[in-house]
Amino acid sequence: MILRGLWERRTLSLVVLLIALVPIASAAVGPIYSAAARTTIARDAVRAAPLEGRGWRYTTSTGGIEAKVAAFTAGAAFTTRPVFGMEATSGRRADRRAYSLVWQDGQCEHVVVVAGRCPRASGEVMAGRTSGFKVGGRIRLTSVLGMEVTEGGRKPAPLKVVGLYRPGPANDPFWFGRTLFSPPGEPADDKADALFTVPSTRTDTYLVTDAVDVAGDVKSGWTDYATVYIDPARLEGTDIAKLSAMQAAAEAAGAQSSDIVYSRVADMLKGLTANAGSLGVPALLVIVQLVGLGWMLLFQTVGDLVRARSAEIALARLRGHRRARVWRFALTEPLLVLTAAVPLGLLLGYAAAGAMVGALLPPGIPAGFPPEAAVAGVAAMFGGVLAAALAAWRTANRPVTEEWRRTPRRSARGWVLDAIVLSITALGLVELLATGVITDVSGQSSSAMAVPGLVALGVALLAGRALPVLARRLFRLTRRRGGLGPFLALRQVARGPVTAGSVVVLGTAFGLATFAVSAWSATSGDYEETARFHNGAPVAIAVRPVEPERLIAAVNAADPGGRLAAPVIKVPGPPQLVASDPARLAAVAHWRPGLAGGRPLPEAVAGLPGPAAPRVWLRGERLRVRISHDPPPEGWGVRLFATLRVPGQLRPAAIPLGALSGRGGAHEWNLPPACRDAACELRALSGDMTPPAQFDEMAYAHVKVTGIAVRDKGRWNALPLPPWRVDQDPGSRDGTFIVSEIGNETLRPATYRPVPAAITVGAVGMRAVPGLDAAFATPVAPVLASAAGPGLTGAGVLVDLAQADRMAYGVHDTAEYQVWTSADDPEALERALTEQGLSVVSRRHVSDVVASFAAQGPGLALLLLLVAALAAAALALGRTVLALYTAARRRGYELAALEASGARVAALRAALLLEQVITVTAGTLAGLTAGLVAAWAALGRIPQFTEPPVTPPLPHDIAAAPVAAVVGAGLLVSLLAAVLVSELLLRGIRVERLRDAPA
Amino acid sequence: MSLVRCDGIVQIYKARDVELVALRDVDLTIEAGETVALLGPSGAGKSTLLWLLAGLLRPSAGRLWLDGTDLGRLDQRRLDRLRATRIGMVLQQPARNLIGYLSAAQNVAFAQRAAGRDRRRAAELLRRVGLGDAGGRPAGSMSGGEQQRLAVAVALANKPGLLLADEPTSQLDEESGTRVVELIKRAAAADGTTAVVVTHDAAVSRALSRTVTIRDGRVGAESRRGEDFVVVGREGAVQVPPEYHHLLPPGSMARIEELEDGIALRRAEA
Repeated sequence: MILRGLWERRTLSLVVLLIALVPIASAAVGPIYSAAARTTIARDAVRAAPLEGRGWRYTTSTGGIEAKVAAFTAGAAFTTRPVFGMEATSGRRADRRAYSLVWQDGQCEHVVVVAGRCPRASGEVMAGRTSGFKVGGRIRLTSVLGMEVTEGGRKPAPLKVVGLYRPGPANDPFWFGRTLFSPPGEPADDKADALFTVPSTRTDTYLVTDAVDVAGDVKSGWTDYATVYIDPARLEGTDIAKLSAMQAAAEAAGAQSSDIVYSRVADMLKGLTANAGSLGVPALLVIVQLVGLGWMLLFQTVGDLVRARSAEIALARLRGHRRARVWRFALTEPLLVLTAAVPLGLLLGYAAAGAMVGALLPPGIPAGFPPEAAVAGVAAMFGGVLAAALAAWRTANRPVTEEWRRTPRRSARGWVLDAIVLSITALGLVELLATGVITDVSGQSSSAMAVPGLVALGVALLAGRALPVLARRLFRLTRRRGGLGPFLALRQVARGPVTAGSVVVLGTAFGLATFAVSAWSATSGDYEETARFHNGAPVAIAVRPVEPERLIAAVNAADPGGRLAAPVIKVPGPPQLVASDPARLAAVAHWRPGLAGGRPLPEAVAGLPGPAAPRVWLRGERLRVRISHDPPPEGWGVRLFATLRVPGQLRPAAIPLGALSGRGGAHEWNLPPACRDAACELRALSGDMTPPAQFDEMAYAHVKVTGIAVRDKGRWNALPLPPWRVDQDPGSRDGTFIVSEIGNETLRPATYRPVPAAITVGAVGMRAVPGLDAAFATPVAPVLASAAGPGLTGAGVLVDLAQADRMAYGVHDTAEYQVWTSADDPEALERALTEQGLSVVSRRHVSDVVASFAAQGPGLALLLLLVAALAAAALALGRTVLALYTAARRRGYELAALEASGARVAALRAALLLEQVITVTAGTLAGLTAGLVAAWAALGRIPQFTEPPVTPPLPHDIAAAPVAAVVGAGLLVSLLAAVLVSELLLRGIRVERLRDAPA
Repeated sequence: MSLVRCDGIVQIYKARDVELVALRDVDLTIEAGETVALLGPSGAGKSTLLWLLAGLLRPSAGRLWLDGTDLGRLDQRRLDRLRATRIGMVLQQPARNLIGYLSAAQNVAFAQRAAGRDRRRAAELLRRVGLGDAGGRPAGSMSGGEQQRLAVAVALANKPGLLLADEPTSQLDEESGTRVVELIKRAAAADGTTAVVVTHDAAVSRALSRTVTIRDGRVGAESRRGEDFVVVGREGAVQVPPEYHHLLPPGSMARIEELEDGIALRRAEA
């Protein structure tokens, strides 16, 4: 009977089934997509981590490494097979170097055997090519003794060299970042390349450090280790907890035993958990709202299914069926449909999530099926069960005679539910507006997090109430003019619960869709704006470090026009430093005058360059400085120093130029060896005074530089004297400075501004900026304060690269070398840069930065919201059209009667059309309003980034086009559907229908 | 002992701010085995009285006994039980009585569910209403006459003591209507079922043993064995039958003339 009933009501049953699929599928999509997004985050974090951040090296000196590692990796399906190894360290007689005797499983595949072979038998070793051993030779290590005990004790075991190797790539993960080898071409004095052997060497030799410690553990002297890597391809989002547990165990190993676990997984894990955690809030927000919307659709549609059986239920009551049986009778059909919807919905959710994962996440991310997906799907289904139970309760308890009344009594819609929803919405709004960015998923923020959905529902409920009232107000107007069509349409809108219900559903769904599109467009805009500033220019090409002057020259040569490329060196700070060629920067960098008091970038950077006086380059073996000076005071020693900038050094190098005597002369000293290969720069001259044992007053001596010369390859070359500057006496420009114990002066070539001009972003104030050498030497003189600057991700300064280079003593390791370009063909620029001797490392477009933001938790959740909300809106639209069609069809008798009484078809068409247009337009506009209100309230508070950027200020601009497109498409489809439905209904109106009794 | 007794039944419907009195002070007694036609214009309250007799409505005032049981004192469970075992009802439109996608036999079985399945009686009933060969046909595919006969069979499924039928012939042709009325009469004769039939059809009322006319919510007249009577109501009110309105139009004044066995009304000239 139940199945026959379902077949009898197959259209409605199918609609219920389809609509039930949506919340179930939406509920399931959330956890599936969330899990996949979490997996993406986890894998990206592992892949981006340095070598040591991708695994652990478990080391023990008490044996049992296999069991320990097995216990350590138990339950972790994402780790690679452990690579076991062992190691002993020893010295060698008459050799300063320390030796590591090593076996690591698979070692021979990771070095290049250049002579001989790999060790195969006990006592055989393979030595590094540069270690000075020969194949066939014997190595006797002082700690590795033979098993045989002689009168003189044990003797070093002879380890036979059977092969020589050349180390493979230093970054080979096999070695887990270990320094078993000296860097190529730099044989170390104190450590030889590892000697590779086989495990049996351990059993056939005696290591002098073998001992038993106080705890009774045998300390063999050999250290066993195993390297375990995290395999990103097998890592799932659900493994983060296990990963944390492993890291905790690794950290505890050192505290609770003598084992040591070396790793930088903790650093990687910190970023990973922060990023994964940031997915939680938005994903929960999305899932809850979609399930809520699905519930609402289910509520109405399942109620329709129950109501469609009201005649049968009334018959059951008429025939005296017990109340429980009536309930069961009423509930069976919807429950059967809902039960069937669960597996189908889960399957649909799985497929949809799979499609989304495939389309939105990087390739290779699996769409799993976490248990939470099934739980969420079943929970969503219970919304339908609740709806069915309520509808069944109402149908089973209302007076049975109502079923047969000619004019069923209207039941007024209660205010209780509306009041609850509106109250929660108001509370959520207040909480949301009162708090900053929501970052936690605790219950305290739940109402604030649900604000977009609640606002959509609240506005839709109000619109659903307002529309009939408004329609009633317009009655009088249509009575006098406008004809029958508008009169009938307004009458139906005013009295129709279907109209109100449709407005609520449409308003909520379109509200959520409008919010989703608004949030997506605003967030995309924020991502774009942030990426443009953070990247600095459309394309940032990373190059290997070179001298700043070389970088500048290479860029000048690669882009002679000066409009397409700019050299940039970034130092992380804080405050951050971006140094570039101002004119070139102005041509390529991203800039918003609105954030900088309306000043365009070319105007802003015009104040950055400093003096362009020639620098004093010293290339050669020896420096000579000619000076004239006061006779040194009696008893005082006066020495002169030159301060140099030496290539490859971050700190100034001072060389002595000797003590002063007489009234002047030439002072010479050898330049550092590096100055022979590359030019050093004379950065300062200064002196110091050594007082006599007793003196009455402070002494000083004026010193004036009269000449500088460098000897290169045996020839002295005189250098032109630069303009001079004295730190302590800005007025002194002639190369004269004072040497004194108090008020000692430093003479510098005036090649840069002492306080560099800078465009500042954020709270820099008088803080010392790092400079290229990260020496944090000086504050800056702001030429402009901007809220954002190209290349700056936090508070920082934008300075002239040439000035920064003149000021610094080198470039710090943490500096990034980039060439920014706005060229349409960055590859051509890369080729040109390569031709100029630069080595291009990578290229980053603004879109790459945008993609990295979009791949963060909030970005991933937003995509989920966008896709699902649009799908839900389409479904709500379909459901509304169906509800209007069904409602109008129920009035077929009434319409037939109107036609029979002389109403023209055109008037009926107008009535039907107008009624549906009013309803869908009201619902859509309510949705638009709700969505924009929700966007206004929530944007800026709901997280968009894992770490909100300090700069630039996020505009949160909602692009009108996508919102208009969604609402316009919704309206267009609605209107087309309204026309179609009206025509279908009109065709069904026949006067013969009057022979049937009204339903 | 009477099967049905209505004592001052008042039924008021409330619709928003309006109260509509459907029945006012209805006194009616129906003996077991009687077949009663309830006549009256539309909106007179016939169907309301029928629903009250079926226990589907509770009277706003007054008391209603069915076979000695005061329906007003029964809780819902007992009322459901009473309806399952003692009352059969035929609703106004044939299709309303049936579940269209179920077969004739299943429709009868559905009605028997509350009181206990009796396949033999179901088959007997279908045979009696002339649908013995149509037990497997879906009710929705039957003609109007067949549906109404099946509706009677469904109403009689549990061998009710009281059969209530609301306009059972209104949508049938004469022949089908006659068959349905015969069915009701036969049921009354065979099972001792008391039948109350709401009708507009004078032919139906003539076919039944007694006719009660409801007018403006009151029992206005009765007809027994071919003779029509007006009924003097609780407050002494008498409704003048419409066929006498030309002599004594509503709103006119009359003089009462006392007779030995009653009174006579004579129109008073203004």
